[in-house]
Amino acid sequence: MNSMDEMVENTAKKTPGYFLRAIFLGRPIRIFIAVVFVGIIFLPILYIATTSLKIPLEISLSGSLFPKTGITGVNWVNAFKTVPLVHFLFNSTVVALASTILVIGIAVPATYSIIRFNTGGWFLPTWIIGTYVMPPIVVAIPIFAMVKIVHLQNNLIGLLLVHAMANMPVAVWLLDNYIRNLPKELEYAAWIDGYSKFDTLVRVVFPLIQPGVVSAAVICMILSWNEFLFALILTYSPVSNTFPIGISRFIGEHGMQFGEMSAAALAGIIPIYIMVLLFSRNVVEGLTRGGVKG
Amino acid sequence: MSTKSEKYSPRLMVLPAFMILLIISLIPLIYVLGTSLTNATIVKPFDHFVWFAQYLKVFTDGEFGTSLANTFVYAISVTTIQTFLGFVLAYALWHERKLGSVLRTLALLPLFTPPVAIAMIWKLIYDPNSGFLNYYLTKLGLISAPVAFLGSKTLAFPAIMAADIWQWTPFCFLLCLAALQSLPREPYEAAMVDGASDWYVFKRLTFPMVLPQIIVIFIFRLLIAFKVFDLIYMLTYGGPGNSTEVFSFYIYRVSFGQFQTGYGAALSIVVLIAISVVVTFLTKGREALLKRIGQ
Repeated sequence: MNSMDEMVENTAKKTPGYFLRAIFLGRPIRIFIAVVFVGIIFLPILYIATTSLKIPLEISLSGSLFPKTGITGVNWVNAFKTVPLVHFLFNSTVVALASTILVIGIAVPATYSIIRFNTGGWFLPTWIIGTYVMPPIVVAIPIFAMVKIVHLQNNLIGLLLVHAMANMPVAVWLLDNYIRNLPKELEYAAWIDGYSKFDTLVRVVFPLIQPGVVSAAVICMILSWNEFLFALILTYSPVSNTFPIGISRFIGEHGMQFGEMSAAALAGIIPIYIMVLLFSRNVVEGLTRGGVKG
Repeated sequence: MSTKSEKYSPRLMVLPAFMILLIISLIPLIYVLGTSLTNATIVKPFDHFVWFAQYLKVFTDGEFGTSLANTFVYAISVTTIQTFLGFVLAYALWHERKLGSVLRTLALLPLFTPPVAIAMIWKLIYDPNSGFLNYYLTKLGLISAPVAFLGSKTLAFPAIMAADIWQWTPFCFLLCLAALQSLPREPYEAAMVDGASDWYVFKRLTFPMVLPQIIVIFIFRLLIAFKVFDLIYMLTYGGPGNSTEVFSFYIYRVSFGQFQTGYGAALSIVVLIAISVVVTFLTKGREALLKRIGQ
């Protein structure tokens, strides 16, 4: 082994962490930072989890992180008894699932066409980004009016259509990088084999960008589940309220207890966290691939 | 396979998306522009023209000025803090492989927590009787009596920002980490051979190489922060007074609370113009900066 090889190998060995010493003095401090970071992420969640198990009297008297006078399931029982929580969660699930299916069905061909065939030139992508950047409140009045014209106000169908439309730019933005990085040769081969452009999309491109589709679908589903403004103006009775609106109305109108509120909040958080953890690899990849292109 | 349908199939593929853009942006914008010239209300959407009277009202509306200023203060503060913290965290954990991948997964949790639940959590945290912030601050002797954080004109806004920072710092961390990990390795090996100091490597290599992406992250996050609505709606409803009123909330109140859709439309147009100016300014600023550092 000559000296050059040795030097390169030493460099490679030393690289991890080597250049960090100026600011962070080595591994223990980095681990400490990571622990604090995780602690701060979990502290609020832990706090409502313990609050939801505290005895209501203790909640009204003390803000201690852990229950001191024993634990109880009464907040959970009350939350589900006094609030139509199951119904709100069901509405949210329907809207999130249906709007996501629509969004993917529309965004995948659109993104493919924009990137491969340059459809719409520079204008269409700019328009899509502009639509995403625009604060939704700006178009809230006309969207409310249009939904009313087609008699879909206070109706899950109206809300899910609006969610699908509002999330379309996000889906395009997330899918962009996955389609852009596909080798064109596969598509050329498919065309030579006599596939139409549409068949190529369905049978060649779609299977190859599946990680991107999963990531876009999960993110759009969560965005719809969490969405507040359109759900607020388009659904105004418990029949069609989604989880965020149903809960916030209940807090406003019925003066919910903190214990029940914590249980209800967790009931809305847990499905999301399960989804996020199940698809975490796809979601992280989708967000970072979408986010760091200049 | 007919060649004609093949020729038009790319356009067919974007057609539904194109229609969506018409329905959620172009038509609404034309509608808003039109309504802003009338004194329409929610019950009478097609009332008579008042031309620019609504716009004149916008410029004398102190409450709107406050809400616009509040939004900018809010968005710029949270974005700066989140990008800075996100970068420091990412820089610290840049070379921690296993730990890094665990943290990336956990970072998704605050980001995707339903805002309604975030609001409930922080309402509880700040509560004078049941909140742990007051409980532990009193215990540590830092305050003598519980503080109603969300009921205070000076503390309510920072309190909401803290919830926002909890939610979005992990997102900035994720993107900063990805930016750092995408840096090429060769310059570092060269610096190693040259025996450059750590601080010098950071100043001359890492920071300039990663800066363009950090600016993109900053702008992206800022544009989302301008839309803030749900946290304000649920935590303070714009109060106390109008100390936490942001433009989205003010337009909501004017349009759906006072039913003044004509005036709400005029406010919307002014907000759109303000945001467009900021976006143009930022992208131009980014280009100028990149030119100065020679990229």
